[in-house]
Amino acid sequence: MVTRFTLLKELSAIVPDDVLVLTSIGNNSGFWGQLKDREANLFHLTMGMCSSTALGLSLALPKRKIVALDSDGNLTLNLGVLGTIANEAPKNLTIVVMDNGNYLGSHKHEPGMPTATAGKMNLEAVAKGCGIASASTIEEVAAFREKIQAALSNAGPHFIRARIEALDRDGPKKTKRVPDPRENKYQFAGYIQKTEGVEILGSGLGGG
Amino acid sequence: MKPEKAQLVIQGLKEAGVDFAAGVPDAQFIEVYKILAEDRDIHYVGTANEAEAVGVGFGAWFGGKKPALILATSGLLVATYHLARINLLHEVPVLVVIPYRGDIGDPRWMGLYKKTTEPGLNAMDIPYRVVSRPEDIVRTIKDCNESARAWLKPVAVLLNEEALW
Repeated sequence: MVTRFTLLKELSAIVPDDVLVLTSIGNNSGFWGQLKDREANLFHLTMGMCSSTALGLSLALPKRKIVALDSDGNLTLNLGVLGTIANEAPKNLTIVVMDNGNYLGSHKHEPGMPTATAGKMNLEAVAKGCGIASASTIEEVAAFREKIQAALSNAGPHFIRARIEALDRDGPKKTKRVPDPRENKYQFAGYIQKTEGVEILGSGLGGG
Repeated sequence: MKPEKAQLVIQGLKEAGVDFAAGVPDAQFIEVYKILAEDRDIHYVGTANEAEAVGVGFGAWFGGKKPALILATSGLLVATYHLARINLLHEVPVLVVIPYRGDIGDPRWMGLYKKTTEPGLNAMDIPYRVVSRPEDIVRTIKDCNESARAWLKPVAVLLNEEALW
């Protein structure tokens, strides 16, 4: 099996600059912030909130490619979102689930507690059962690269379950500050205002 | 709920500039959800639970939409963690419209919601207005949405039984 960092490093090398990337809390946010310091990132999406936020954004900006970097524990907290994604069917949305079968393993030197996916639950089958036809599982970096490139060049929604090691033993050194949620909001919304020509933040004085 | 009251809610949303909505249908507001689902000016996303609706609305705001969450009083409890999160950590505006059960005009068993709704909103530091008169529905929805966007935080409108029946 592959590690989270290996896959994120690969993604950071191939993802086009204008693709909006949304990351779940924990090491998806922490590692991505070290690997890809850019305005097109929305970090710190809490338990159950990563794929739903990506869905809303993908519907609001149907011509913009959106990648959600979700995780197994985060997604299973709000699993019904996969049915909503299938029914809304945004062509521009790719959900990547870093599935380590583990709660809190990303922060510890030993595994925490198992998620349902460490047992009998198969998230690819769940996504397909929810109606997301383009759902797959990868376990190594070449297949990941291939699935990401295909997802970014073909109509979605896409669902990529990445089976990764339980522990993040090879994470990057923390050399950059990942912006806090409020600061990140202004960066991300400002970037979208600039590149999409939409008004988001308003004047701050009302009416915007 | 009388159909004309549902129309007032829709009118309020439209005059407020709301163009995106998410939520889970409930008995009290079913006419509002049915109209939204067919409406061409407002993209309505039916979610599996109300916390999911918060994420969907939050994401849509980053895409330039003016989102509203249409939540049952019980659903507000389901949405609480994510609503508190987008209010207190991210500070992102969404309008929250709630058919307020447990207030004047409702049976005693709905008192649960009287005990949870306003204290819950206060605990999350989400400003709200309670509407008791039908003639206040449109203006209050507009005012609350305006303030949500000016303050960059969720603001709630509670429409009680006196206003809706």
